[in-house]
Amino acid sequence: MIVSLIKFEQVYKTMGQTRVLHDFSFSAGKNKIFCIIGPSGCGKTTILQLLSGLEQPDAGRITGLAGLRISYVFQEPRLLPWKTVAGNLDFVLQDVVSPAEKQELIKSYLSTMGLYEYRDSYPKALSGGMKQRLAICRAFAFPHDLLLLDEPFKSLDMPLRLGLVRYVVKMWQAAPRTIVFVTHDIMEALLLGNRIMILSARPTGILETIELDLPHEQRNVGEDPLTSLYAKMLAMLETENKKYYPGL
Amino acid sequence: MKTSSWPIRSLLPLSGLVLFIALWQMLSGLYNHVIIPSPLEVVRSFHSLAVSGELWEQGRQSIARGLAGFGLAVGVGTPLGLLIGLNPVAASLFRPVVVVLQVTPLISWLLLAMIWIGFSGVPVFIVFVTTVPLIVINVFQGVNGIDRQLLQMASIFRISKARVIQEIYLPQVAPYLMAGVSNALGVTWKAVAMAEFLSVQTGIGASMAVARINLETAGLFAWTASLIGLGLVTDRLLSYLTRRKLSHWM
Repeated sequence: MIVSLIKFEQVYKTMGQTRVLHDFSFSAGKNKIFCIIGPSGCGKTTILQLLSGLEQPDAGRITGLAGLRISYVFQEPRLLPWKTVAGNLDFVLQDVVSPAEKQELIKSYLSTMGLYEYRDSYPKALSGGMKQRLAICRAFAFPHDLLLLDEPFKSLDMPLRLGLVRYVVKMWQAAPRTIVFVTHDIMEALLLGNRIMILSARPTGILETIELDLPHEQRNVGEDPLTSLYAKMLAMLETENKKYYPGL
Repeated sequence: MKTSSWPIRSLLPLSGLVLFIALWQMLSGLYNHVIIPSPLEVVRSFHSLAVSGELWEQGRQSIARGLAGFGLAVGVGTPLGLLIGLNPVAASLFRPVVVVLQVTPLISWLLLAMIWIGFSGVPVFIVFVTTVPLIVINVFQGVNGIDRQLLQMASIFRISKARVIQEIYLPQVAPYLMAGVSNALGVTWKAVAMAEFLSVQTGIGASMAVARINLETAGLFAWTASLIGLGLVTDRLLSYLTRRKLSHWM
């Protein structure tokens, strides 16, 4: 039984003209990895924005966030173009860690992500994937209790995605924190999630919540239960997709 | 223009200039030198102004006045533009003032300045009122064009308001400020000469008034050339500085 930490209780949210969340409730366990998967436009990003406090619910309650230090990988890199690679990390770290620790963090995270030799470059000189890696560095290096990841590996190639998924697992095992991970990718969700919430097309509802207690080392995409879960989730998402694209 | 080699590229503007001078020389032959002095007469006049020290003596005063008014405008206009951009109350308070400032006829400012602050301060004041709206409006537009996504990022990582202004707003505004400064500098030397012409006894503008009274048209041309030179030098200098400061990330 997971001790619930973060709770959405009958949350309503309209973004612009679109009613995104309608009487929406779920809970995410403390220091667990919570994955959200669903068709595009179903409100996954809105859930993260509500969790981060960037948006407030129109009605309903969100509890369990008080006092949490939050870190966030946005869908876009959101780097400061006038700061170097190292400067972008320095920007978020300088008020929260000592100067010595800051240098250490910058060096270790940039090295891990293969960006250390580019530390003095400006973002305009980086490729899309490198920018995204830097945004991931920034979020991981920033001290946090809750990590929000919005399709963080989207613009990266397959082997790197797998590497990063394993890296997140390692990081989490070393210091378990609550992670809310939004993705399109079923495999990423299965490799990472302690709990996976599958969302329907709008109006957003929960198709199914899968609890996956299997330790991360024992997860293998080629073996059950992951293979059968994969097939089941794929079928579910495909059905949902038909609502968006009836012609497909 | 990758295909044309350097002699073509540098010869083309040069030949334009040569054409212009040839035309001028031709026209000066058709008219009295009081109407159109020849290029050579203008060069001679410029040379004698330079040798006698008159050029520097008067130019220095115009430069000092221009830079004082311009500096004041940047010093007041930058924070004012930031304030208008950041604070809705300040925006509704000051925006109409800036617009009124911008459309008020120059001659009204000139006459009012003579009454309010006396003749000697008029050029500085005129440069200030003509350039400050350019700075304010450009800075305001820079603030307005701020990337909301970066502000959200800063709020997630709990960056203080002071640091957000210093490390997100100011760099974002810098190119806009530079555009405003460039416009303002272009206006500065014209405004200072105009104000000097109408209000004081020294400076390039006042010297032009004297040249006109004495029918020294060549002198008039020479002073005009000095103003053009001043405008070109400051413009080049500014764009050089802008390139050095901003090009690494823009």
